[in-house]
Amino acid sequence: MSDMSFHLGEGSVRIEFDEGLYPKDAIYGAAYVFIDRCWVHLDRAGDRRIQVTLKAKKPGADTQIYAGEFQNELLGQAWRLRIVEENKKLVESITARALGGAAGPPGLDELLAMDIGEETAFEDPLGIAMSWEEKYKKKGKGEGAKAEAEDASEGASGGEKAS
Amino acid sequence: MTGLSTLFTELGSAAKAPTGLVPFRFREVGGDILLTNFLGDWLFVTQDEFRALTRGELDSASPLHDKLASRNFLREGLDQAKAAERIAYKKRFLNWGPNLHIAVVTLRCNETCVYCHASRANMDAVHTDMTPEIGEKVVDLMLQSTSPSVTLEFQGGEPLANFPVMKHVIEYALARNRAYGKGLEFTMVSNLAMMDEEKLAFLVDRKVQICTSIDGPEHLHTKQRILAGGNAHREAVKWIERINKAYIDIGLDPTLYHVEALLTTTREALKYPKEIVDTYVGLGCRAIFLRPVDPFGFAGRTAQIVEYDRAAYNDFYRTAVEHILDLNRRGEQVLERYGSIFLTKILGDDDPNFLDIRSPSGSGIGALAYNYDGKIFSSDEGRMMYETGDPAFQIGDVFTSTYRSLMKHETVRALVMASIRDVQPDCVNCTYTPYCGVQPEHSYRTQGTIFGRMRESTLCAVHKGIQDFLFDKLRENDPKTVEILQRWTTVRARTHFIHASSAS
Repeated sequence: MSDMSFHLGEGSVRIEFDEGLYPKDAIYGAAYVFIDRCWVHLDRAGDRRIQVTLKAKKPGADTQIYAGEFQNELLGQAWRLRIVEENKKLVESITARALGGAAGPPGLDELLAMDIGEETAFEDPLGIAMSWEEKYKKKGKGEGAKAEAEDASEGASGGEKAS
Repeated sequence: MTGLSTLFTELGSAAKAPTGLVPFRFREVGGDILLTNFLGDWLFVTQDEFRALTRGELDSASPLHDKLASRNFLREGLDQAKAAERIAYKKRFLNWGPNLHIAVVTLRCNETCVYCHASRANMDAVHTDMTPEIGEKVVDLMLQSTSPSVTLEFQGGEPLANFPVMKHVIEYALARNRAYGKGLEFTMVSNLAMMDEEKLAFLVDRKVQICTSIDGPEHLHTKQRILAGGNAHREAVKWIERINKAYIDIGLDPTLYHVEALLTTTREALKYPKEIVDTYVGLGCRAIFLRPVDPFGFAGRTAQIVEYDRAAYNDFYRTAVEHILDLNRRGEQVLERYGSIFLTKILGDDDPNFLDIRSPSGSGIGALAYNYDGKIFSSDEGRMMYETGDPAFQIGDVFTSTYRSLMKHETVRALVMASIRDVQPDCVNCTYTPYCGVQPEHSYRTQGTIFGRMRESTLCAVHKGIQDFLFDKLRENDPKTVEILQRWTTVRARTHFIHASSAS
């Protein structure tokens, strides 16, 4: 069987191809591009075969063109995934610089809008105001596992802020 | 293409890059091979020289070695600190937020145009007028931009149809800017048919730059722009002349201060490249922007009437610009804007910050569009799509959004990432990437994805066609032509229009 095949139906086209041809994210990405024009259905057509059905929302649409466009979009998505993987740092650095430069530091309005009330003003989630002994006192086994999970979640939250 | 198309097949496994070259891209232009590097430096080599390079041959005593060294194509001798400085300088637009703030003060319009991008409403649709309160909120958000200078552009519909609000917003912005001290400019895009002496006096006094639409000679303009009970072309020409005289009356240099006009190139317009140029020159315009029709607004619906193959556009562009070059050789000072934008990058080693031809694009981080009802979009094109039923690019509204929430909006982040050209398929290998840019909203409108497929993109075809033309001129190296093209990279600032208020 050829790596890719088409079946034209009434106002629809079914495309089948080997699942090893494209990364799954590229298939999702390419299919998503059509949701404004088509009802999109993804399925498995057999052993290691992916089936995508594009059913036109409007009557009279040329679904053969959709099939061709889908293939081109698949290729574009797959290639883009590769490029972005290779240039992740570049993309992150340009995006961070662009958004950082545009947004600037938080203003007074934003600081005033923060949820600092009587109940929350003295909350100390990071334990900054705690003594070393309080913060790192020996915990029981269960407590220790919980503390590790909390530390991990703090790290994730800090990373997000930094980005 | 006899050279490159078979070159690598012939070479087979013998192909290898010479050591010591920086990464570069190549393209055949006019029989020679154009090389560009990541810094935007460029160089033409002959086919023989290129063939030698592809065999890994580069004699350090050869003229080719010297040529490559002088244009930063060799690692050895490349001043890395200087290279970093150049990139940072050309990308300095990333240090600031949006400079351009487009306020659609009404959708009402007195003209009906075949390609209308703005999604106009009839003159009795007063519910599409912006209120003074919304106008004030637009100004408040605009002044929070991290950009040290901002331009408030009034658009419509026809902005003069809601002149009282426009006036109010201008006065409010001038008063509020005393606390911010930004370089503040106003621009109005109008068909001028609703202009009168009183409005003009206000606009001239408040230094509002006036821009209009001219589609070319009268027969073409009136065919495409219908003014009920009047002649759209005559009205526009009458007021262009009157406004230009008003500038002279207050002592401004008419070569610098005059009404700017914009062209929308429809299928019909392709027949008249020289006549269009002559019309602009006859009106005293010093810049012509040969913009192809956009697929937004009504133009999306009337595509079968106004659209065309981009190869036909590129022929039109070449004929028009050859005519402009001829006029320059005869002493006329007139430039083509597309050419000027690309040449500033190619010859001027700078970036003019034209929002739709930069990387990343200016969507959100370079411009914001405010609809009459207070909704905010990443660009005017995003707003047009909302008006035709797709809210994908709405990022907030003047009632609830803060400035920073707009800049940090996930749509803005996606638009930035999707418009970094160096990491997009095709662009990653394209010789013109150092100079190019594509608006992601255009890709979304035409291809359903903000990333776009450049090989199928009409915008990519236009940008490639224009750069092929310009580089061919540079390859021919005619001294007079190069001097003219060099002059197009120098745009004199129109400082009179800047309200340089110092913060108090």
